[in-house]
Amino acid sequence: MNFDFTDDQLSLRDAVARWVDKAFTFERRHAIAKAGGATRDVYGELAELGLTGLVIPEAHGGMGFGPVEAMVVMEELGRGLVNAPLATGALVAPTLLSSAPAAVQSQWLPKIASAEALVVLALQERGARYRWQRVTTRAVQAGGAWRLTGTKNLVPAADEADAYIVPARIAGNDDDAAGIGLFLVERGAAASVRGYPTRDGGRAGDVVLKDSAATLVEAEGHATLERAIDVAIAADCAEGVGAMEKLVALTVEYMNTRKQFGVTLSTFQALRHRIADVKMQLELGRSMSYYATLKLGEPALQRRRAISQAKVQLGQSVRYVGQQCVQLHGGIGVTDEYQGSHYFKRLTMLEMSFGDTMHHLGEVNCRMADTAGVFA
Amino acid sequence: MDLNFTPAELEFRASIRQWVRANLPKDISDKVHGALRLSRDDMQRWAKILGKQGWLGWGWPKEFGGPGWNAVQRHLFEEECALAGSPRVVPFGPIMVAPVIMAFGSPEQHKRFLPGIASGEVWWSQGYSEPGSGSDLASLKCRAERRGDKFIVNGQKTWTTLGQYGEWIFCLVRTSTEGKPQTGISFLLIDMKSPGVSVRPIILLDGEHEVNEVFFDNVEVPAENLVGEENKGWTYAKYLLSHERTNIADVNRAKRELERLKRIAKAEGVWEDQRFRDQVALLEVDIVALEMMVLRVLSAEQGGRQSLDVAGLLKIRGSEIQQRYTELMMMAAGPYSMPYIHEAMEAGWQGDHVGAAHCAPLAGTYFNYRKTTIYGGSNEVQRNIVSQTVLGS
Repeated sequence: MNFDFTDDQLSLRDAVARWVDKAFTFERRHAIAKAGGATRDVYGELAELGLTGLVIPEAHGGMGFGPVEAMVVMEELGRGLVNAPLATGALVAPTLLSSAPAAVQSQWLPKIASAEALVVLALQERGARYRWQRVTTRAVQAGGAWRLTGTKNLVPAADEADAYIVPARIAGNDDDAAGIGLFLVERGAAASVRGYPTRDGGRAGDVVLKDSAATLVEAEGHATLERAIDVAIAADCAEGVGAMEKLVALTVEYMNTRKQFGVTLSTFQALRHRIADVKMQLELGRSMSYYATLKLGEPALQRRRAISQAKVQLGQSVRYVGQQCVQLHGGIGVTDEYQGSHYFKRLTMLEMSFGDTMHHLGEVNCRMADTAGVFA
Repeated sequence: MDLNFTPAELEFRASIRQWVRANLPKDISDKVHGALRLSRDDMQRWAKILGKQGWLGWGWPKEFGGPGWNAVQRHLFEEECALAGSPRVVPFGPIMVAPVIMAFGSPEQHKRFLPGIASGEVWWSQGYSEPGSGSDLASLKCRAERRGDKFIVNGQKTWTTLGQYGEWIFCLVRTSTEGKPQTGISFLLIDMKSPGVSVRPIILLDGEHEVNEVFFDNVEVPAENLVGEENKGWTYAKYLLSHERTNIADVNRAKRELERLKRIAKAEGVWEDQRFRDQVALLEVDIVALEMMVLRVLSAEQGGRQSLDVAGLLKIRGSEIQQRYTELMMMAAGPYSMPYIHEAMEAGWQGDHVGAAHCAPLAGTYFNYRKTTIYGGSNEVQRNIVSQTVLGS
């Protein structure tokens, strides 16, 4: 048992942090958000750092790294408030393709690694909320070709992506785990794609499929989908830790400089205790982010329980840290001009992603066993 | 990064588990699992069993007769003891005073005091708090005046846990009123059988006699019982506080008590109530998060980095969790937590319980555990300390 990072992991962290400092200033980020959140050029810069191929096997042009490296990168992107879709494009998509036919893998993984292709998960359906096995998008096979019909909302960077991985129902009822296939649909095959900005300065969109041509990735894809969502949650947890860390640092700086009643804010015990509670939530969050990442390789049952436990903690942490850091800033904390509010918004949306705190509390609830703890 | 214990650590754990299961008397573990009253004999019997094995001072280095375990091994030992239902080792001797004697005491003091602590023969108490000095401990007034080769001690200590059994007490006493309050404090070892020492019980809100007032009326203490240098006691006390920081989170016991909470909730028919279960699920997440935080601190200590800044959070979070599980257990019993039959907390009591026997101690434990966020530096004092680390000011 140890929680030390290797030298390679520390260098990776440094490389991402250096790029953020140099190339991804708050001013740039702010301008991107104001312009609608399009980040394909940013994604290209991440590719130059090798990050789009982070977990893709070397045989397919990637770096072949594992979950801990992914966590390190996501923490740094969180710290820099980087709104490019790296988690979905570089971590989730390769996971979704992990059981794809060899030909599909060799066609797409190298392009994903080089960022020639941005491939994103098109998951959300109206009415499903966070019940991912509720899939009403239909897949039918005619003359050896698959065609999909249905609508997906909140697809990350939908109008910038080159292709979508789409869960679609091949068989069974709307809520069955069985009969869900995973398909790859190129953007041009969709009936329509409507992009829109998101509240946290990013970009998403609705993808409407009508008899749209699709490539089969996996016929019974529910287990892979669950694993990919868990990868996404672990990435969100790590991003949240990085974002919280930066927001806390901004708040500490503000408390040590801003004066009221002739003294700095940091002299008031009520505020000192608040920042202590904020630190608590940050560290509980970081602890559970580690837990999520280190449990990704476990069998499904243990993995899912750990991921839900982590998401419950992170959900509480990001909400508390976000709200309280805004509060500790006073008026400036609720302006668009100040970067703190942008961290708050991103942290808030992270809680809403892939199951909010209440949803995952329900998941923990129904998975409780007689024993508890890290090794239970 | 690796969450798993090494094969050697797992082997170590298995050997400890086997030993604890074989040597922990069942009548004692039954009481612990049932939250029943433990007698002086119960506590000391287990201490002596550990002492005989050389494990009562499980955190001690080899040179002082300890097993010389590293941070992870100590954690695993504590976990196995907690899960098996062993009583909490009364910490004042082996965990609190012994490290101070080792670090700052003379070779004569090592020889004289450490063997009795290691074997569990001698019961130690702690004399820190005073009626006027709680969180502001440095304001303490209990006076020790040097007269030749003796100190004459006059004053009062309070909240002395299990002081009714105490044979020796380590005290912070005022030896000087010059300068800052912290600089006039000394660390003195006092034989509680000395003339002029008297102990009076304080009954706590659960009706139990757990803590005491200790009075010193012209008590003569040989100067050789001074640990280290005169007026340096505050430094030694702080050293003591920095010791065993993960232990204070008590996460292993929390895991055991969460299991008990689930058993009680099932027996009381509230386990199927989703509102209640959600609260248990939240507590389960809290406990896993605390355990991960403890493991991070252990890993840092193992790597020789003592300064991981989360250590200060462990007491706050651990004590909150302890209060929460006692609260939920009481809520699980609902109205059956209300009766107070003092004898019902005795093992083997033959009277009629109101409701299930497991309900009898629940409200009492809940009441008693309000202490956890108060003692050892109240959680508000802990937040002051954390804020200093975070703000750097």
